[in-house]
Amino acid sequence: MTPKFSLKHLHKSFGQKHVLQGVNLEIFPGESMVIIGGSGTGKSVLLKCLLGLLHADKGSIQMDGQEILKESSTQQEQRLQDIGVLFQGSALFDSLTVWENVAFRLIYAQHMNRKEAKLIALQKLASVGLNESVANLSPAEISGGMQRRVALARAIATQPHVLFFDEPTAGLDPIFSSVINDLIRGCVNELGATALTITHDMKSARAVGDRIAMLYDGKILWCGPADEIDTCDNPYVQQFIHGSATGPIHLETDLQHVA
Amino acid sequence: MTDRDKTEENRIKRKKTVTTLLANIGRVFLDFLASTGRVTLFLFQALSQGFRPPYYLHQILRQVWEIGYLSLPVVGLTALFTGMVLALQSYTGFSRFNAENVIANVVVLSMTRELGPVLAGLMVSGRIGAAMAAEIGTMRVTEQIDALTTLSTNPQKYLIAPRLLAGVTMLPLLVLVADSIGVFGGYLVSVYRLGFNPALYLQQTFDFMEIQDVTSGLIKAAFFGFIIALMGCYHGFNSKGGAQGVGKATTYAVVSSSILILITNYLLTSLLFEQG
Repeated sequence: MTPKFSLKHLHKSFGQKHVLQGVNLEIFPGESMVIIGGSGTGKSVLLKCLLGLLHADKGSIQMDGQEILKESSTQQEQRLQDIGVLFQGSALFDSLTVWENVAFRLIYAQHMNRKEAKLIALQKLASVGLNESVANLSPAEISGGMQRRVALARAIATQPHVLFFDEPTAGLDPIFSSVINDLIRGCVNELGATALTITHDMKSARAVGDRIAMLYDGKILWCGPADEIDTCDNPYVQQFIHGSATGPIHLETDLQHVA
Repeated sequence: MTDRDKTEENRIKRKKTVTTLLANIGRVFLDFLASTGRVTLFLFQALSQGFRPPYYLHQILRQVWEIGYLSLPVVGLTALFTGMVLALQSYTGFSRFNAENVIANVVVLSMTRELGPVLAGLMVSGRIGAAMAAEIGTMRVTEQIDALTTLSTNPQKYLIAPRLLAGVTMLPLLVLVADSIGVFGGYLVSVYRLGFNPALYLQQTFDFMEIQDVTSGLIKAAFFGFIIALMGCYHGFNSKGGAQGVGKATTYAVVSSSILILITNYLLTSLLFEQG
């Protein structure tokens, strides 16, 4: 089967800071892949390279067999039409209302008329458990958990075939986190989309992932089915999933990446 | 240590100081060239995107409202008091030579050629340049600009081009209003405080004013509007590192646009009013 995404020897540095040092990974169509790893290990950088928001220094990223590191801005714009992204801080536009945020791509990129777009936005808001009463509020007037749901509704508004989630449960309480995890799983199953989730929340990783990969020291250290992560014999993975302070992962190593 | 050694040591120290000084000057110059290059590149990208459809009319109208309409009170008040002070000061100065009758000429000439465009430019720079840098800077650090890209919307087309267009078109209109209010301020002081004949004052104002005085001010204003929008957008778009980064971007936007307005004003004045 041709992978949806194929990453080979991907490198990305910021000055002397080598964040990605040869990432190899394949994500297959319809699969929900989760990348775990400590803070500062380059998970978000990897996601931004996949989106084309950051340009990788070396290596190859292929989407549906097409190299994306050499694509033009027009090609990038077209490719992104089929990708929905949920950002870590929701990244809702303050100057627009909730429904306009959800309908943004429909109105501005697909030139749908506002009435039609609003109807779809309301449907998507309902699918993430939000009713019409929030539609005309500004993002600043709703809670962080609700903002995350609105961002999820925005990501799925055009029914994309690829979904990216950057720390979807960061900063949320356990109940809201479970709600978001269920919504993500539901959306991925319903759309039949290929999903990539970046997280360091193991509960979230187990809930939304078919496969889990661990990023450490700029490389994929382990990759396997989500239900095998607890029994794998990789000491780095074991230390990470149990949140143990002792083990092969040293804090200084992570700090070197951050510095 | 012998005298010869001391002299040699002093010579090496002096040489080091001169080298450090030259290196610093060189570094500043290279930084300036690099910044100029980055701004130029940013501008070309914004313009090349701005001319291509789709055009975001809603965004353009929002910026027209923000820059044009909402700046009216601050620009109007500045112009009013400037015109009033100008009349008072001119009266004090010219009365020493029994030349009080030229006050109307001085007010209209100063307002239309210099004070209208420059003061409106500086006030709008403080109000709009800072707001643009803060808004776009916050969008940058909260990943809203990345979100725009992933929603298949070019951020330069959606955020930058409408602001540049609104800046270039709205500043001349604001200056036109500022000129009128400034002249009116001079009229108020001259007539009600200094006892000038109203009809004579107005006649002198219109007799002396030339169309070139007004158009030169409007040309300057278009340049200033462009500078304010460009600096506000550039510094906001390239801000980094949270609230502190946004604060820095706002300061840089206001300072750089104010300095560029003053420099451009001199260059345009010498170009527009060059004597044969």
